[in-house]
Amino acid sequence: MTPVPAPGKANGLAFRMALFILTSTTLIFGVAFGYNYVYSRDLMLKNVRENATHLTQALVRRIEGKLISVEQMPRYLARHLDNRNVTRHSLGVMIENMVAANRDIYGSTVAFEPYALDPEARYFAPYVYRNEIGGLVATHLGGDHYNYFLWDWYRLPRYLDRPVWSEPYFDEGGGNALMATYSHPFYDLSSGRPSFRGVVTADVSLEELKAAIGSVSLYQSGYTVLISRTGRFLAHRDPDRIMRDSIFSLAEALNLPALRRVGKDMIQGKEGFLRIDGLDGEGRVWLCFAPVPAIGWSVGVVIPEQALYADILALNHTVLLIGAAGFTLLLVVVVGISRSITRPLKSLVGATSEIAHGNLDISLPKIAVRDEVGQLSQSVDEMRLALKEYISHLTETTKARERIESELKIARSIQMNFLPKRFPPFPERREFDIFAVLEPAKQVGGDLYDFFFLDEDHLFFSIGDVSDKGVPAALFMAVTKTLMKGIAEQNRDPAEVLDRVNGELCHGNESSMFVTLFCAVLDLRSGRLCYSNAGHNPPLVLHRDGSQKWLALPPGLVLGGMEEAVYQSRELVMAPGDKLLLYTDGVTEAMNPEGAFYSEARLLAQAQEGVADSAESLVARVMASVRRFSAGAAQSDDITLLALSYKGTHASGGGGTSVI
Amino acid sequence: MEWVSEKVGQTVAIRVTGRMDAVTAPGFEQECGRWIDQGENDLMVDLSNLEYISSAGLRVILGTGKKLKNRGGSLAFGGMSPMVKEVFEISGFSAIFPIYDNLESALAAR
Repeated sequence: MTPVPAPGKANGLAFRMALFILTSTTLIFGVAFGYNYVYSRDLMLKNVRENATHLTQALVRRIEGKLISVEQMPRYLARHLDNRNVTRHSLGVMIENMVAANRDIYGSTVAFEPYALDPEARYFAPYVYRNEIGGLVATHLGGDHYNYFLWDWYRLPRYLDRPVWSEPYFDEGGGNALMATYSHPFYDLSSGRPSFRGVVTADVSLEELKAAIGSVSLYQSGYTVLISRTGRFLAHRDPDRIMRDSIFSLAEALNLPALRRVGKDMIQGKEGFLRIDGLDGEGRVWLCFAPVPAIGWSVGVVIPEQALYADILALNHTVLLIGAAGFTLLLVVVVGISRSITRPLKSLVGATSEIAHGNLDISLPKIAVRDEVGQLSQSVDEMRLALKEYISHLTETTKARERIESELKIARSIQMNFLPKRFPPFPERREFDIFAVLEPAKQVGGDLYDFFFLDEDHLFFSIGDVSDKGVPAALFMAVTKTLMKGIAEQNRDPAEVLDRVNGELCHGNESSMFVTLFCAVLDLRSGRLCYSNAGHNPPLVLHRDGSQKWLALPPGLVLGGMEEAVYQSRELVMAPGDKLLLYTDGVTEAMNPEGAFYSEARLLAQAQEGVADSAESLVARVMASVRRFSAGAAQSDDITLLALSYKGTHASGGGGTSVI
Repeated sequence: MEWVSEKVGQTVAIRVTGRMDAVTAPGFEQECGRWIDQGENDLMVDLSNLEYISSAGLRVILGTGKKLKNRGGSLAFGGMSPMVKEVFEISGFSAIFPIYDNLESALAAR
């Protein structure tokens, strides 16, 4: 019986289902999540770029607006001073008015060439600026401690002959503030050829500008930077860097060539949006920058990537949480469904295991659901009932077969018990030697042989074959043999014997059963053989000289065929050394696995080889040959052989009397 | 074993092909019995194409012949292969059943 798999294996189905579904779901979720992340990040970046660009542009406009409005007044005043002389007083008023009129101007001066306005004064530069509380303070620049002729705001417009924005500087001794100064030159045109007379300046406080751009904020930790024409930081989140560091010194300190390239782009007035890695304490940042053309500065908006993606990260956390919750829910549902499938399966497995062990009366678990499992349960139940029926049927069949087999056993026992089986049967007789064998077929045919002494010198022997099988044939054979013996003991003519046996057998033989029979009486003294035949195969005569022939038989119908049948006797004289071989058609019609008959020809050949054999050896030789030929194929008919070897009286040691 | 039977005049002619043994003989017996039950008394069996006949076949022939004889009818054979003829001779059947060379001459002799 095949071992039933352990019921524990049923868990495997639920486990596999859960594994498969959850793995594929996780995979799908992962792909969707990844795509969503990448896509939303790109979208976010695009958004950020637009926002940063807009913001940068707005800052540029705001700074530039201030600068341009600051430039206007000095330009106007310079044009005014080109052609006229002014008094000291009116100049002071003009400067004061200018500063007062424009809140973006921190301070202003009109600085003259040495002795240009007042031949007495080497320095003349009235200066008005705002103090901390917003009031205007008027003073004069110039002196041994403040030689403004050496300052850039004075020198550059003079040499360049055009208005100039100075690099931001700390006006030590002037405004005392961090500022950038717009200086516009003015000239003396009286001589026909313009000659430089001085500059009109307007200062812009960097603090003001910083306040203007610092108020803008972008994302949580974003900030703005402003760098000068030389890359120096004018506005930065870190106040320590302002005026002290430049973008290039920072790039040097942090060893960031990329930052140096950005700095170059910025001071060359380019625009850009790019990512910079490795900024001190900030990690990865995005930088959007644009120039302020009026002054050659550059505005940058810096957004740390961390801040940029903060929203996306928060969103991702939420999505992951939802995913995990979904996963858990799915797990519960899948396990629930698989359990609901495997639970009835498990009980089915238990029941089928019982069935496999032979318990066909077990009731299967009732499964209400009409799904595949329900159908399976029903099928198993039907199988159980069919098996039960089959087994009971098989039991009956087996009983019937056993009955038949026991009948066959009876038949075989009847058949065998009636035959003389003791060899040699007459050890004291030397005139002849007889041997016979009957090998019953599985179905038991009705073969028979017999031999007995009628008197001291006459041996009766016979061989026959009933035309049926099983118990009827065995009984018919027994009847025939008994009749024959009884009759032969009273009448020793073989034809007479056959005639009388036939008469008895035909009497009330409704089934048309018959028996073929050859019988003979051998006179042991003379070797004279008297024989008769009722439809049996002709025996083989083997002469001492090796020649052989089929015994010539008188016609005679099988016994039990017709009451009117007539039998005749014939005679043959056997010489000492001659042999007779009697057989039934079970020998010549023995079949090999290919369905061919053993045939008379093979029988003749074996007899030829065994010409010198004893009766027993001859029978054994032919039997062995038949077995070899049939090669294990089951035979449908009994195989019977009887050999008689006549030796003559001179060989006799017993009571025989020699006549010849 | 196969057979074809037809009625020719008063005679039922049955042509047999194959092997008549314990397995096939009962079918042949039924075929003969069917004709006899229909009141036919004259059966002519052609055994020219019979390859082999066992004692079970002989028994069926004997039974059928006895049945017909009891009714005043007859069983005859029109044609026989040499092997079957030998069996008929050994068993003595050729002495109790008329045997012709072939079916045509047998029918003509009726």
